[in-house]
Amino acid sequence: MITLWHFLAVGAALFGLGLVGFLTRRNFITMFLCAEMMLQGAVINFLAFGMHHGHIGGQVFALAIITVAACEAGLALALFLTMYRRGKSLDTGDWQAIREAGVAATFDSEALPVPKPEAEDPHLSPAGARPPMTAEEAARV
Amino acid sequence: MTLLADIATDGNLALGQIVAAAVLGAIGVYLLLPQPRGRHVPLGIFFSLSALVTFGVFLFQTYADPTADVVGRVLFWGFAAGALGFGTVLVAQKNPARGAIAFAFVILSCCGLFLLMAAPFLMAATIIIYAGAIIVTFLFVLMLSDSNGPSDENDRSREPLLGSLGGFAFAGLVLFALYASSPAGDGSANELLQEPLTPGDRQDLTAAIQSLEAAEKADNLKDMEERARAARGHVGTVVGFAPGDSAHPGLAEQPAGRPTVANRLQPMATDPRVATIIERSEKLRSKNKDLGDTLENLRFEAKPDLEKGRKAVRAMRDEVVLFTGHGHLPARNVTAIGTALYSEYLIAVELAGTLLLVATIGAVAIAGRKGVQA
Repeated sequence: MITLWHFLAVGAALFGLGLVGFLTRRNFITMFLCAEMMLQGAVINFLAFGMHHGHIGGQVFALAIITVAACEAGLALALFLTMYRRGKSLDTGDWQAIREAGVAATFDSEALPVPKPEAEDPHLSPAGARPPMTAEEAARV
Repeated sequence: MTLLADIATDGNLALGQIVAAAVLGAIGVYLLLPQPRGRHVPLGIFFSLSALVTFGVFLFQTYADPTADVVGRVLFWGFAAGALGFGTVLVAQKNPARGAIAFAFVILSCCGLFLLMAAPFLMAATIIIYAGAIIVTFLFVLMLSDSNGPSDENDRSREPLLGSLGGFAFAGLVLFALYASSPAGDGSANELLQEPLTPGDRQDLTAAIQSLEAAEKADNLKDMEERARAARGHVGTVVGFAPGDSAHPGLAEQPAGRPTVANRLQPMATDPRVATIIERSEKLRSKNKDLGDTLENLRFEAKPDLEKGRKAVRAMRDEVVLFTGHGHLPARNVTAIGTALYSEYLIAVELAGTLLLVATIGAVAIAGRKGVQA
């Protein structure tokens, strides 16, 4: 006796989480993964209703969603590649030149944090005496 | 407005839980999102976890446990928490490669939920397809992102406060709509499978299936008839006896106070699903009588053909199994999906194929380098 509403609620929460990621993140690839997560939330809804009605149509529709997700992935990754070739970055902020007319441009006011320089590897002072060269080694050097 | 007023009086607790989960989640994700001035990871994790717990408490208090058995319960809560937890990691992770790993775990958890919803084929298909998708994503991360030092795309967020508030407000509204439209708290009406058969019915039908299977294995007519009669008695108590059937010796009359399936469901017969169940139960009732007649006729033959009796018993057993499983998805998941795809949804399959073809051409056209011959 699995209940319908549990799955609907989980699907809604997954969709909302993906929406937050899609709205706030600036990396194309992360945004793409968040959109896929929203699709998973929708698939959960279809499967839950399909089981609620004892009808296979829900699973067929979920298959259709997977097809659309595959198309979306192919086109999105092709677009990312093209945009990367032009701008050499995955940042959506680089593409605000194509924003709607009359909307002010956004600027990143805060500077990026400077990464801490990594500590160098420790140097060990050589210990022991160098063994005498063999005749073969001397000939090679 | 009356709906809102009703809910405000009845469901203050549930509403408060939804609002608290949304607000806590928004605060948690806001604290976790990458920002140049740094983020507060421990506090963010604390708020996100408390949002998750509040959401779980809301689900549990409003809709009770998802299943009756312990295993199903553990699996549901585990997979749901896994999907949402790794989803939060994906949203908050600075490194896109680690985000892709978190996404893989989101997919695995979702596949667990698919299995709970009786969709094994989709579970396998999703794992196979998304494994490829995630590997391609990895390839893109390796090719395209420079991993030295902070970058605009990974260490900045667009409007973190407004974005997380907006997204969680949306999720909260959907949950509110769900709560307002569900028979909340009433354990009887919200079952995912609306059971047309009572547990007693199921018990009788299972006993009938077992007797029929024993009757099929019998090596003389007398045994077969005896076992089939027991089975026919069980089936008869559930769907009733056809006119003339109770004349057979050894079959009990319909027990007093126990309505047949058709009688019990008659008030809801306008629902097409219920109508098919009633139709099926009547078919089962007449088949029950036919089986008795077939076996009786065999007895009067000079040389009884046991094989004929076996065939009739086998057909009856299949019919009872189908009736017992009414309202459930078919056990042969792949067969059922395939049959549905290539009969009812043929146009959808063709459209999906066309869509894939167009998308492939589009992707090649977009990503193809100008001036380079393929």
